[in-house]
Amino acid sequence: MPTITVDGEQYQVDEDQNLLSACLAQGINLPYFCWHPAMGSVGACRQCAVIEYKDAGDQRGRLVMSCMTPVKDGGIYSVNAENAQEFRGGIIEDLMTNHPHDCPVCEEGGECHLQDMTEMSGHTNRRYRGTKRTHHNQYLGPFINHEMNRCIACYRCTRFYRDYAGGDDLQPLGRNNQVYFGRQQDGILENGFSGNLVEVCPTGVFTDKTFSEHFVRKWDLQTAPSICEHCAVGCNTAPGAREAGNGQDVILRRVVNLYNRDINGYFLCDRGRFGYDYVNSDARIKSVLAARSEQMIGSTAEAGDKVHVEIPPETAVRQLAQQLDAVQKGQRRLLGIGSPRTSLENNFALRSLVTPENFYSGLNGREQELLQLIDSIQRDDRVHSPSTPEIEHADAVLILGEDIDNTAPRIALAVRQAARNRQKTHAQSLNIPLWQDASVRQLRGEHSPIIFAGTELTGLADIASATLFDTPEKVALFADAVSQLIRGADPASLSLTTAERELAVRTADILAAAERPLIISGCASRYGDIIRGAGSIAAALADKSAAPGHLYLACPEANSLGLVQLQEPGHGSLEQLASRLQSNADDKTPISLLIVENDLYRRADHETLETIFSRADEVILLDSLLNDTARRADLIYPAAATAESQGTFINSNGLAQRYYAVYEGLGYIQESWRWLADAARFCTQKSTALAAVASWQHSTDLSDALAGEFSQFAPLATLGPDEDYRIDGLKVARQSHRSSGRTAVRAKARVAEFPPHQDPDAPMTFSMEGIHNAGLTPLQANIWSPGWNSNQSILKFQQGIGGARKGANGGIQLQRQAQRIPAWTIPSHEATTAATSDNQLRMLPLYRLFGSDELSANAAAIASVIDKPFVRLNKEDAAELGLQEGDWLELEVDSARYRLEATLSATQPAGTVGVPCGIPQLASLMPELPGPAALKRVESQATSASGETL
Amino acid sequence: MSSIFEPEIIEVMEHSKSGQGKPTASLSTTEKEEIDREFSHYEDKGSVGLEALRIVQKHRGWVSDESLHAVSAYLDIPVAQLESVATYFQLIFRQPVGKEVIFLCKSASCWIMGCNRLQEKIQNKLQIKPGETTEDGIFTLLETPCLGDCDKAPVMMVGEEMHRNLTEADIDEILDNKANINRAEGCRHNHAEGSRHADKSAD
Repeated sequence: MPTITVDGEQYQVDEDQNLLSACLAQGINLPYFCWHPAMGSVGACRQCAVIEYKDAGDQRGRLVMSCMTPVKDGGIYSVNAENAQEFRGGIIEDLMTNHPHDCPVCEEGGECHLQDMTEMSGHTNRRYRGTKRTHHNQYLGPFINHEMNRCIACYRCTRFYRDYAGGDDLQPLGRNNQVYFGRQQDGILENGFSGNLVEVCPTGVFTDKTFSEHFVRKWDLQTAPSICEHCAVGCNTAPGAREAGNGQDVILRRVVNLYNRDINGYFLCDRGRFGYDYVNSDARIKSVLAARSEQMIGSTAEAGDKVHVEIPPETAVRQLAQQLDAVQKGQRRLLGIGSPRTSLENNFALRSLVTPENFYSGLNGREQELLQLIDSIQRDDRVHSPSTPEIEHADAVLILGEDIDNTAPRIALAVRQAARNRQKTHAQSLNIPLWQDASVRQLRGEHSPIIFAGTELTGLADIASATLFDTPEKVALFADAVSQLIRGADPASLSLTTAERELAVRTADILAAAERPLIISGCASRYGDIIRGAGSIAAALADKSAAPGHLYLACPEANSLGLVQLQEPGHGSLEQLASRLQSNADDKTPISLLIVENDLYRRADHETLETIFSRADEVILLDSLLNDTARRADLIYPAAATAESQGTFINSNGLAQRYYAVYEGLGYIQESWRWLADAARFCTQKSTALAAVASWQHSTDLSDALAGEFSQFAPLATLGPDEDYRIDGLKVARQSHRSSGRTAVRAKARVAEFPPHQDPDAPMTFSMEGIHNAGLTPLQANIWSPGWNSNQSILKFQQGIGGARKGANGGIQLQRQAQRIPAWTIPSHEATTAATSDNQLRMLPLYRLFGSDELSANAAAIASVIDKPFVRLNKEDAAELGLQEGDWLELEVDSARYRLEATLSATQPAGTVGVPCGIPQLASLMPELPGPAALKRVESQATSASGETL
Repeated sequence: MSSIFEPEIIEVMEHSKSGQGKPTASLSTTEKEEIDREFSHYEDKGSVGLEALRIVQKHRGWVSDESLHAVSAYLDIPVAQLESVATYFQLIFRQPVGKEVIFLCKSASCWIMGCNRLQEKIQNKLQIKPGETTEDGIFTLLETPCLGDCDKAPVMMVGEEMHRNLTEADIDEILDNKANINRAEGCRHNHAEGSRHADKSAD
C-alpha cells in the first residue's frame, strides 16, 4: 500500500488509483466535475488541480490534475496550497462566466454538484458582467428536460450515455465555447438508461421531467430505503415524497438511485426510475369498494363485471371477519391467491390466514414450474448467482433465451461493461491504468465474447459477438450441446445443423477457456429446457474448473423467487385451483376467494379464470391499481404500494432485501397484511392460525414468523434494523433537518399543526425528528453530507471509492438447502406449444422495457411511450403470406381476437410471430405465450392507420 | 450554372420518436464511389465519416440534414455521431453557403496588420456579418483563426484562393471581380432554409 503525504498528513492509499479518488477516499474535500467513480478520468474540466512536489526539499511544486495523476508511493501533494486553490477558483470562475444565475428556478438547485464545488472553491463573487452564450434546448422525450445554458462541458453525459450505456443518439456537438450536448434533432432519447443523465450531470442540464410535474427541493423530500418493484434485479432506490403544500395529501414525487455495490451500483434503468408514478395514477385504489347488488341501468360494464361503490373501511373489515367466522364454523371455505409482485410478508399473511393447503401462488403452472426450476438450480452448490460487479468482470458471456435489456435491464448494463474486459486486459498489458478512461477506450480490437441465443436481442445487439435466433426448442438443444461439448462430447454426435454445431463448438471452447465465464438465462422464453440447459452448462463448467459456475437466472417479478419458496414444488398453481374447484363442484359450501395484489388476467387463460370466478361466491381483492381482476371482485381493499409499505423481496439472486415505507399511503390505503390482520381481530372466535394473524403489530413480526417457519427464511430475523432499533434512543428521521414549511404546509386547510404519522414498522419517523445522519446503518436514504448536497456525496458513505455502503448489509442470501441438479436430457417431456395446424403460427413473447411490466405501465410518462400493439413476422414468412410492414393482421387465440400491426424482422424465427408480452392492450394474451395462433390479414383500420404506416 | 443547392425541399420535422419522418436523400453513384475509395484507407466505417461529409459537400455545396442522414445510412454510422463530426469541423457547412466563401483570418498577426478594418470593409460592402450570406447568394463571410501565412498578413481565402498582404482596395477588386464572374454565370438560387441543428447560437 503506497503512502502519500497530502498537506503534511500521511495517508495509506490503495494502489492503482488516481490521486483524486485517493484523496476523496480519505475524506479530503477536493472539487471535481468530469471524474466519475464508475467512469474514471478524462481530465476535461481541470477542477481537481493540486500541487505535486518533487521531493521534501521542493518548495514550489507544480500543478497537476489529480484525476490524471497516479498515486505514487512517497508522493508529496498539496490540496490547500494557495496557488492550487487560486487555480481551481479560476476554473470555477471561468465556468461561471457562461453559467446562468438561475439557481432559484433550477431544479438541480439544492442538490447541485456545481453549486457544491463553487462553494468549495470559494468563488462567491461574480466579476464577469458580459453576455453569456446561450443555446436552444431540445425536446428529449417524456423523461428528461434539457437546459443547455447550464452546461459546463464536463462531458459526463455523453461519457455515460454513449460510452457506458451504449446509446448512440446523444453526442457532443460543435466545439470551443459552443459545445452542445444533444441529439441530431429533437426526439426521445432512445437508450433505456437515459434517466441516469439526471444524476450524472453535475448541474441542471438534464433534469427529471416526471419530477418537474410535482417538483420540490431535495431537502423537502422525505425518503427511506426502498427496492425497485419493476423487475427481479432488486435495485435499491431512494423514492422521495412530500405533501403538495396546498392542504393536499402527500404524493410520491420521484425515484433516485440508492447505491448498492452488488446490485445497482450508481445506475438505474428508466423503468425503475420513472415507473414510480403508477402510485399517483388515476387507476389507484384509495378507498374500500364494494360491488353494488342492484342492477345498473345503462351501464357499460360487460357481463360478469361488477360496478362498485365506496363503503366505510370498518364495514368492509367486518364483512371479511364475518366470512372468516363462517369459515371457522365450517359454513364457508376460504381460498387465497398470492402474488409475485408483493412482499413475502403479504403472501405469508394470506397463507397463514387461509392455511397452507388453501394458499395458491397466483402463478400459472408454467410460470411456477420455471421458477421452481430456477430455485432448484440455484440450490446446487456448483452454481453461483453472480453479483453485478462479478457480471462486469466476466470475460465470456453466454445469454440463453433472455432479452435482458428488457427483462433485467441493470444486468444488461453490467454485461455491456463485461464486453470491455478484453480491452481492459490489453490496457493493463500496456501499463495503462484502468481509470484512464479515454486512453483505455482508444484501444482497438474485439469485444470480449458475448454470445446470444434466443428470440430477440435488442440493446446488446451491438456488442454481441455471435447470435443464434431460433425457437426456444432449438435454443435449448443448442444449450444442451454446449454443455455436452464442455464435458468432452464428440461434436459429430450432436444433432445440430452445421452452422449451429460450429457455433456450439466455438461457444464451448470460449467458455471452457475463459477464466470467468458467465451464463445468463431466465424465464423470458417461458421454456424450461432453456433454463435446464443453462444449469447444465454452469454445472459442466464447475466440474471442469472445480469452482462454482456463474449463472444468472432472471426471474420475471420483484418477489417471484420469494413466492415460490412458500410453495411445495408442483403445488398451488391457478390451474390446480381451477381443477380442485371443478372436482368439488358438488360441494355447495360457499367459497370466498381472497386475492392479494394480483391481476389474474395476466396469469391464467380464460377458461381457468371462468372456472375460478364462477365457483367463488365472494371475490375479495386487495390491490393498488384497478385492473381486470378488480372488475370481478365483490370487495376491493386499497393496498399500499411498495413506497408506502415495508416488506421483503427476494431478487433473482436469492437475496433477501427489506424496503421501508417512504410515506404513509393516502386515506385508507394500508399494507395488504394489515387488512387481513384487522379482519382477524374482528373475528369472534379465533383458531391458533387466526390468533397469530390477529396478533401481528409490526411488519417485522411477520418477517420473524417467516424466519421461524421456513428454514430458508431464517436470515430474515437478522435482515435489517427492526422496529425497536434506536440510535441514541432516537428513531431515524425520514425528513431532512432542512425540511421546510412544517407549520405552513397545511395552513390553507387548517392552521393546526398535525402530528406526524406514527410508523409501527420501521425505526424511522415520518418527520424531521430523529437521527439525520444514520450513515452507518442501512436506514440512510437521504444521501447528504455537509458541503456535499448532490448525490456525489455517496462517496462519504462508501468503504473506499466504489466500495460497499458503510453499515449496510446489502441484502442477505436465502439459506436454501443445497441439492444437486440431476443430469437432464433435453428435450425433456415438456409439452410442446408448436402450431397444431397449417394456418397457425406460433407466438413467442417479446419483452419491452416500457409496457411489459404491469405496474410501471400505469406511470403517465411510461404509458406515453409504450409500443402500439404489433405482431412481428419473419421477413420470408411475410413474403410467403404476401404481407408487408404496416399491414393489419388479426390474431386469433383461443376464441379471442386481437387486431395488430405487422412489423417485419430478419431475425424472428421462421414459423413464429413475436408478440409484445404484457403491454396494456395485450395483457390478456400473456397467459397464451408462447402458443399457437391463427393469423389473418384484415383490410381497413387502414383509414385510421394510414397515417401511422411508415 | 445550375444551383449548388440541393433540389430537395426541406421539410419541417415535428417532435417525434426518432425513426419517423427521417429525410431520405440518397447519395449519387459518384459520391458512393468516392466514399468507397476513401473507405479503403480506413479500418472501420466510423473513421471515414469526415471524408464522406467532405465528398458530399464537394458535390452539393453544403451538408443538409438529408445529406447527413444519407451518409449515416450509407456508412451505418449513428446520425448523431456524424453530426458530432460535422459540427466540430468549421469547414463542413451545415447551413447553405454562398458560391464564394470568404475566410478572413483573425489571428494575432492579421489583427496587428488590421484585419478588423478589412472586416469592416467587407461587411459594409456586402452588407453581411460573419456567418451570413449575401442576398444574391454569392458571398458568405466566415472568420477563421489562422491561415498560416502570418508573414504576409493580413490574409484571407476566397474559396480555395489565398489573398495576401491585403489592403482595402484589394478587397474591392477581389470582391467585385468575383461578383462579376458569378453574375455573368447567372447564378440564380433561392435561399434554402437554414439548418435545423438545435444550436443556432452566434459565435
